[in-house]
Amino acid sequence: MPWYKSVYDWLERRIQFEGPVKEAVLHPVPKSTASWWYVFGSASLVLLILQVVTGILLGLVYMPSAAHAWISLDVLNHDLPLGWFLRAMHGWGSNFMVAVVLIHMAQVFLFGAYKFPRELTWIVGIFMLLMTLGMAFTGQVLRFDQDAYWGLGIGASIMGRVPVIGGQLVHFMLGGPIINGSTLTRFFTLHVFVIPGTLLALTGLHVWMVLKLGINEWPMPGRIVRRETYVQEYNELAHKDGIPFVPGAVWKDLFFSAAILLAVAVCAAVFGPFGPKGVPDPTIISTVPKPDFFFLWIYTVLSFLPPELETPFLLIVPPIAIAALIGLPFVAGIGEKSWWRRPVAVFSVMFLAICWAVFTQLGTYTPWSPQMNAWSGAVIPAKFLENRTPLERQGANVFQEKQCRNCHAVGGLGGQRGPALDEVATRLTEDQMIRQVLLGGGNMPAYGSALSPAETSALVRYLETLHPHYQPAAADASRQVVGQGGGVPADSTVQQGGGQTAVH
Amino acid sequence: MRPNHIVVTFLGMALPLLAGCDLPGRPKPGPEVPRPEAVTSFDTLYNENCAGCHGASGQNGSATNLANPKYQALVDDASLRDVIAHGEKGTLMPAFDIRSGGSLTGAQIEVLISGMRAHWGKGNVLAGQNPPPYKATHPGDVSKGQAVYTAACARCHGVTAQHPGPAGSILDGSFLALINEQTVRTTILAGRPDIGEPDWQGHIPGRPMTDDEVTDVSAWLIAQKPAIPGQPYPNAKPMSEHPAEARPAAVKRPTGD
Ligand code: HEC
Ligand code: HEC
Repeated sequence: MPWYKSVYDWLERRIQFEGPVKEAVLHPVPKSTASWWYVFGSASLVLLILQVVTGILLGLVYMPSAAHAWISLDVLNHDLPLGWFLRAMHGWGSNFMVAVVLIHMAQVFLFGAYKFPRELTWIVGIFMLLMTLGMAFTGQVLRFDQDAYWGLGIGASIMGRVPVIGGQLVHFMLGGPIINGSTLTRFFTLHVFVIPGTLLALTGLHVWMVLKLGINEWPMPGRIVRRETYVQEYNELAHKDGIPFVPGAVWKDLFFSAAILLAVAVCAAVFGPFGPKGVPDPTIISTVPKPDFFFLWIYTVLSFLPPELETPFLLIVPPIAIAALIGLPFVAGIGEKSWWRRPVAVFSVMFLAICWAVFTQLGTYTPWSPQMNAWSGAVIPAKFLENRTPLERQGANVFQEKQCRNCHAVGGLGGQRGPALDEVATRLTEDQMIRQVLLGGGNMPAYGSALSPAETSALVRYLETLHPHYQPAAADASRQVVGQGGGVPADSTVQQGGGQTAVH
Repeated sequence: MRPNHIVVTFLGMALPLLAGCDLPGRPKPGPEVPRPEAVTSFDTLYNENCAGCHGASGQNGSATNLANPKYQALVDDASLRDVIAHGEKGTLMPAFDIRSGGSLTGAQIEVLISGMRAHWGKGNVLAGQNPPPYKATHPGDVSKGQAVYTAACARCHGVTAQHPGPAGSILDGSFLALINEQTVRTTILAGRPDIGEPDWQGHIPGRPMTDDEVTDVSAWLIAQKPAIPGQPYPNAKPMSEHPAEARPAAVKRPTGD
């Protein structure tokens, strides 16, 4: 007997793993589940393992102290061979993991897999999703750059809105009244011990239940789930029309997981690690902090909400959403599984996906926030300055110097908080522009006290030139009257009765 | 080749590739987002701080054409430093020095100056042409200015504000309130080749302008600034002066009333 066989036997005598493992590996699954739709769960698990491995390696170098965190990431990026690649794998692994977990969840939802008897598997899964998001958020904090710093500030101010105990919560989260060294230590503990520990335990439970209850069969329209008969029906499916999990179904899981790992590696190699962006120095205010990709939509939603709705939204919507997800299998625990017969489910998923995509897309270019250096950095295209008088050119200088450009694009460059002004003269008369500039309104500040009369005239003269050559600037007819010294324009031929038959 | 060899060869090829600098994701040296005061690239500094007014690559902007070799030959470093750091008084050129409320350090301003010289200066292109000095050496004589204006400027800018020439009026009150003597002088001396304005040799047909002429016309121009510039309706007659006439004819009541 070769030596490894005897070692194995010695161990097996004592641990006795072979039986359960064989049972798990060879358990029959319904043939229909050997599908490309069933690969996301295992891919999530593989990504979790990738995150644990890369995370441990990063932990060897990372220093969880406010003074050293940023520097240790810089060392990883620049001084350690392939340190940047390791960071990139962990960062991209995290993004992929959130994405794959969400897809897995959508698939499970659409396939009705949360129904009897798998309710608890679904509920545990929801907590695993929350843990995954928690990992993503705490991980972003550990980067401890400007984004992390301001992201924490926002997180703290959200906490602070909780009634009564808000103050204590903030104190607890930051480890003090302000963001400091112990804040980082706290998030390090969360990211490295608390959340992953819980997540791994829940993962064990989740997988255990999947093995025990069997993988959800492919839903068929008309095959109704009933508490009394479901288990028996499922066992029939699995045994009569079933195949062993290995090798029948597993190769697709393996193939997909490998493809995902490869995708992570390619992204890591091509796009590199995330940050660290600028050093977390609160005195640097010329920064536009943004949350990581998966939290961008929250950023957008909060920017669009009217201020008085923010607190209710932040404090009420998340608990309701979580409660709804948990309540789902109790409300709809039996009945149809097939998406063909569950239009509400299908449309909910589509609706959420579209909302998420739109909000995320908006979050990437934040049209609502001014672009703080457009005034000095965004060039006015030459055609908007051609053939302008000296006064109008000075008006363009005023336009830049007063930072109108931070909110108003011209020629596609500049902020998008206010409307683009490329053709503003066709919409507003000179007087209307003077009013808008001096009094502001509609989310535009009033410039009355910041502009001298000469600056105002120059500015408005310039804006008056912003119209296409084929369309004249809007004009106020009464100005013409004043210009003619009060004379009223002659009646038009229509007013004179032109075209009508003379009455005698 | 045995399988082992293939693996070894593959690893031998892949590892250096991974470690090498060829992968696009590998971070560039230096931090991804440097501290704002650590930026020392002329292009970045110019594009973020100046291009909005002075135009992409120093021309076709609303403010002075900085990429004008004649301007670069005229102006000295100290004047540039002063204008960039403290702004140009009476104009819309802001102060950029941190100590004056701007965002640039002294070192960054030096980068801007030497960068402008390197990118846009062409050496002393005015050698032998004896240009008037960049800064006026004595105050201008306002009384002589109008004659110079008529000879040198009126052709393009019109005789009065009411009759602007083809290039637009420079006698407009609001315009005069937004410039100062030095910007007038700079513009006459160096011209604005990007928008077709000549330098000091091209204003009066047949001969260059003299230092005195430039100085006098700058002083005269600024002296034309009205006491209350920027009235929005310069053409409308003030109502109070001739109350009877100012009432629009349409609402005039019958005299017997
Ligand atoms: C904080 C951002 C912000 C700044 C700075 C700003 N604006 Fe606006 N502006 C707006 C918004 C928002 C509107 C739309 C107002 C509305 O819908 O009533 C607007 C509207 C306008 C309009 C009317 C456009 C239209 O098509 O109706 C003009 C003209 C205008 N701004 C000019 C200026 C000028 C000139 C400046 C600089 C002196 C300036 N704005 C600075 C945000 C800004
Ligand atoms: C808000 C618009 C604005 C910005 C931004 C701006 N400038 Fe100016 N600059 C002006 C104006 C206006 C003048 C006065 C001359 C004129 O009217 O063209 C001027 C004048 C100058 C002059 C002096 C010209 C002379 O008379 O000799 C220099 C040099 C100059 N700017 C350099 C810079 C540099 C360098 C930056 C970037 C750090 C900068 N400017 C940014 C508007 C601006």
